[in-house]
Amino acid sequence: MLTFTVPLLALVLQEADSGRLALMEATARNPDLSKFLVIGAILFTIGVAGVLTRRNIIVIFMSIELILNAANLNFIAFSRYLQETGNLNAVAGQVFSVFVIVVAAAEAAIGLGIVIALYRNKETIWVDEIDILKW
Amino acid sequence: MVLSGWEAVFFWVFSIAAILAGLLTVMARNAVHSALFLISSLVSVAALFILLQAEFIAGVQILVYVGGVMVLFLFVIMLVNVGAEERGSEELFHRPRQVIASLIFCFLLAAGLLFAMNTGYRGLQKRDQAALAAAQQQRQQREQALPAGATGTARITNATEQVGNSLYRFASLPFEIASVLLLVAIIGSVMLARTLRQEASADDVAPEVLQEEKVADPELAKLAATEQN
Repeated sequence: MLTFTVPLLALVLQEADSGRLALMEATARNPDLSKFLVIGAILFTIGVAGVLTRRNIIVIFMSIELILNAANLNFIAFSRYLQETGNLNAVAGQVFSVFVIVVAAAEAAIGLGIVIALYRNKETIWVDEIDILKW
Repeated sequence: MVLSGWEAVFFWVFSIAAILAGLLTVMARNAVHSALFLISSLVSVAALFILLQAEFIAGVQILVYVGGVMVLFLFVIMLVNVGAEERGSEELFHRPRQVIASLIFCFLLAAGLLFAMNTGYRGLQKRDQAALAAAQQQRQQREQALPAGATGTARITNATEQVGNSLYRFASLPFEIASVLLLVAIIGSVMLARTLRQEASADDVAPEVLQEEKVADPELAKLAATEQN
């Protein structure tokens, strides 16, 4: 069990070459940029899994929101990193994430309008039953 | 940028909460539960934004996502509520083979991302080591100059001011384009969600479709006729 979990933990904590538990604990006590990136990557993967596996179109839209939110987390984390390195215009990441939120809101409004129109015409919200474009 | 002390504790609490809530969003049987778990995931990520000193984005996240988009989601769930998932008469996921294939894809995606980050971040650290140390000194001096808050434990930052400055100075054209995008989204969703009767009363239905639908719904012909007078 330990032989399997230690490399996995090392990958998640981004300490793959050290691979010793004491060092991992030290990095877990002081999370830096890479931990935020890992959280973003995991949230992104969960969102992709939701889009690929669920049948309910509304839950698929929610998974897309999860993906966009993971991207936002990366933008903010890098914005903070640039602030730390004394970069000019270091808040560019925060400005960009405002636009990501705007696009997410527009996408949700249009997508849910399509869902309502689809439900009115086809009486279904299961994506595998909406197949009139398939041959 | 290294978090320490209570910041690190809160980082782990909120990131684990965000991941668990995200997982439950994908796996919940009831769509309303999915929406509520997504709300808790978004709030946890907003807390992470506050740890990253992006208070404005955290506020926008809670106001726009949780207050706006998720309410829209809940309304649509209640409009098209079928309840077949809860009763167990409809499958939650696609067929098992499709699920296995997509899970393998997701696993490879996660592994690739984590491996790439591992090497990439190390290179980034090596490159920025000197700049980080130099900027640390300057930042501490700048923070000392900020006015203290009412309780005396924290200082009042001007981070939101910087975001606003940057938004209007460097991104004013995208800002205007975003407003047009939102206008198009509002009009588009109103147009998409109309019923056939509403479309007929606005005289916006193709004649052939109207001819076909008249048989099922005689009201439609009247609506279209009154419009022409």
